[in-house]
Amino acid sequence: MDNKKFEELLLTVQKPGRYSGGEIGSVIKDKNKVDIRFAFCFPDTYEIGMSHLGMKILYSLFNEREDIWCERVFAPWTDFEKVMRDNDIPLFALESRDNVRDFDFVGFTLQYELSYSNVLNMLDLAGIPLKSCDRDENSPIIVAGGPCACNAEPLADFIDIFFLGEGEEVDLEVIDLYKECREKGIGRQEFLRLAAKIEGVYVPSLYTVKYNPDGTISEYVPIYDAPKTIEKRIIKDLNKSYYPKQFVVPYIEIVHDRAVQELYRGCIRGCRFCQAGFIYRPVREKNFEVNNAQAKAICDNTGYDELSLSSLSTSDYRELEPLLNDMLSWSEKDKVSLALPSLRIDNFSEELLEKISHIRKSGLTFAPEAGTQRLRDVINKNITEEEIINTCRTAFKGGYTSVKLYFMMGLPTETDEDIKGIAELGQRIVNEYYSMPERPKGKSVSVSISVSTFVPKPFTPFQFEPQITKEEILRKQAYLRSCLTTKKISLSWHDSSVSFLEGVFARGDRRLGRVIEAAVEKGCRFDGWDECFDLQKWLDAFSECGIEPAFYANRQRAFDEVNPWDMFDYGVTKKFLICQNDLAHKGITTPNCREKCAGCGANKYGEGVCFEKC
Amino acid sequence: MRNVRVFYKKSGRMKFISHLDMNRFMSRIIKRAKLPIWHTEGFHPHPYITFALPLSLGFESEYEVMDIRLVDDDFPLEDVLSKLNETFPEYIKVFSVAEPVMKVGSIAFADFEISFNDNGVLKDGLEKFLVLDSIICSKKTKKGGIKEIDIAPMIKAKSIKCDENTTLLLTLPAGSTDNLNPELLLNAFFENYAEQYLPYSICRTMIYNTDMKEFK
Repeated sequence: MDNKKFEELLLTVQKPGRYSGGEIGSVIKDKNKVDIRFAFCFPDTYEIGMSHLGMKILYSLFNEREDIWCERVFAPWTDFEKVMRDNDIPLFALESRDNVRDFDFVGFTLQYELSYSNVLNMLDLAGIPLKSCDRDENSPIIVAGGPCACNAEPLADFIDIFFLGEGEEVDLEVIDLYKECREKGIGRQEFLRLAAKIEGVYVPSLYTVKYNPDGTISEYVPIYDAPKTIEKRIIKDLNKSYYPKQFVVPYIEIVHDRAVQELYRGCIRGCRFCQAGFIYRPVREKNFEVNNAQAKAICDNTGYDELSLSSLSTSDYRELEPLLNDMLSWSEKDKVSLALPSLRIDNFSEELLEKISHIRKSGLTFAPEAGTQRLRDVINKNITEEEIINTCRTAFKGGYTSVKLYFMMGLPTETDEDIKGIAELGQRIVNEYYSMPERPKGKSVSVSISVSTFVPKPFTPFQFEPQITKEEILRKQAYLRSCLTTKKISLSWHDSSVSFLEGVFARGDRRLGRVIEAAVEKGCRFDGWDECFDLQKWLDAFSECGIEPAFYANRQRAFDEVNPWDMFDYGVTKKFLICQNDLAHKGITTPNCREKCAGCGANKYGEGVCFEKC
Repeated sequence: MRNVRVFYKKSGRMKFISHLDMNRFMSRIIKRAKLPIWHTEGFHPHPYITFALPLSLGFESEYEVMDIRLVDDDFPLEDVLSKLNETFPEYIKVFSVAEPVMKVGSIAFADFEISFNDNGVLKDGLEKFLVLDSIICSKKTKKGGIKEIDIAPMIKAKSIKCDENTTLLLTLPAGSTDNLNPELLLNAFFENYAEQYLPYSICRTMIYNTDMKEFK
């Protein structure tokens, strides 16, 4: 690439620091001295992608290997995309500025369904044939992983290899196989067939799908010797697993601009709507000495003054107190502030509160998710109204005056009573504040209620449920608004059309590939961004392809229907999901993994919470 | 506790980093370099760093100045220089660390070197442009309005070099009272006095105090 010309063009767009590269911690290698070049693509902006921990782990892991050079690629914002297309600049990697098309591997991380249009647009910008079947020996191998890979089918036509589960081991195994095949002169198709034999690898082109007359799937037929069931991969011992000692530290401000320490993987809770709570099972912890040492190294090497302890539910980490003790011994001296997101309110000890009082306070946020106890039992969100009120009272005593509450709308079995319950819970918190003589003097309370639309996801007990229609969402939103009678409560919600599209792709099959292609041609990209999302273009794309989106989003699925993700084994069995669905409809809760094993199936990995000694 | 003045060059990919982002960047660098930096004593302590004169996004510079405050009075200045250079990316290079001599508020002028990629075709036009008595530009005011100003009298010194390409050397007011961004001048030139737009790069080469002495 002509660097001078490129840099002149960069000065014509917003935030050129997104594209300039050269950050501290970024890895530069001699391209003539490496065997494998890997373009790690995050299909969203630099600010979003650079905040993602998984990319940091894999970037460092790959680059530890002398024979691999892994570089970062992000989706250019619309202004720079136009400049790139006008000036024939192909999609490039930030470190070398080389064309992504010339890499050996191009890997996408799929964090949310609304980034699918960006995946296709990035392939197009790179000049790589969109469809797997149109690529030849000169094309890179296109791989993808991340949570959305657990139902990868909408992207089946475009991705050569999906990685199921955690990538640290399987990615390198596939890279090694590729090297071996290249040395032996084994071609692309044969390589893909061999790769499909590695555990955790799904090669969609090696399966044909048969459909029933009603449009549902009748079966997946493997071609050649591809496996009938594909197992996800997990890292068994996180204490011994790789964790980066250095992050790429961006110059421009990103969404999560801080050091991150991953405490553990998985979640013991089993909230029935939560995909992460099922697909990352079983819970595997790192011990606190490992966490402390890794966190200290990251802070020293990056110079960050803020450290976030990351997990799905931080207060469920058994060694949180010894960890905080050790961390506070150096963090206060080094002027590093700790952030603890994802705290649950039901197991929040006095000692912990005491520790946290040393820690910089962010806002007070709860996620009751549903407005009534009945519905919270249905979704297995085991927190009670009393716990919420008690925690609010403690917080108000400590000087807090604002509370944020997260809810979902459109949950299975939901009635207007449950919607009204959202407003009533908000009102109870307001009342509680004013009933306290020791409330902060002269200050008003503010409760913000944020409501998103429930999207049923694969590998959850609600994977069989219909998503509520747009019309119904709008009606419920209006009803909720009518239930609010005070200005102390503010209300916000997500765009219902975005949730609808998310719902279609979350449980979609490979027939949706044509729709994504058509929508990208019409100019759809950055669908997760309000300023870019255009529902009409998507609806046009659906109707051109003769596909009814409601078939995927709003239909009740029978337990014995073949789902596009049924041939994947993520540890939790379908039998367990059906049983949980049944309990949900009966309003019966399930204890968490540490209280009592619910028999989900994830104990087959022989690790983690399933084998903890009490 | 002592104040220390750091002089450095900023070039290459670093020119895409804005002044605001430089602030955050520097505090991380100083943390990584393990300098005994003094932290402010507010509720959110942060390392004490001030920049003498902000640099626009897209400009390179051969003479950037940053003041830091150290808690250790005996910490050798040469160690500040070497530790920072070990930690900086290749596009930032410290060339001097010294006790501050002048006040930051005394900064009044700066030299700019503007290199055009023009094969010499802009030379004649620029020569005619620079001798104009009056160059009216519209400038955004802080309140969001637009006002017209005459920038011709603000140009303190000017000259043109031409080898293969044209280079424009300017001395312009810079600092907290009077300030003229060379891009304003170049926009006026390309809008009204040139036949075509051609790309250029800008480098700030020196800053001066009110007496036109090099800022130390």
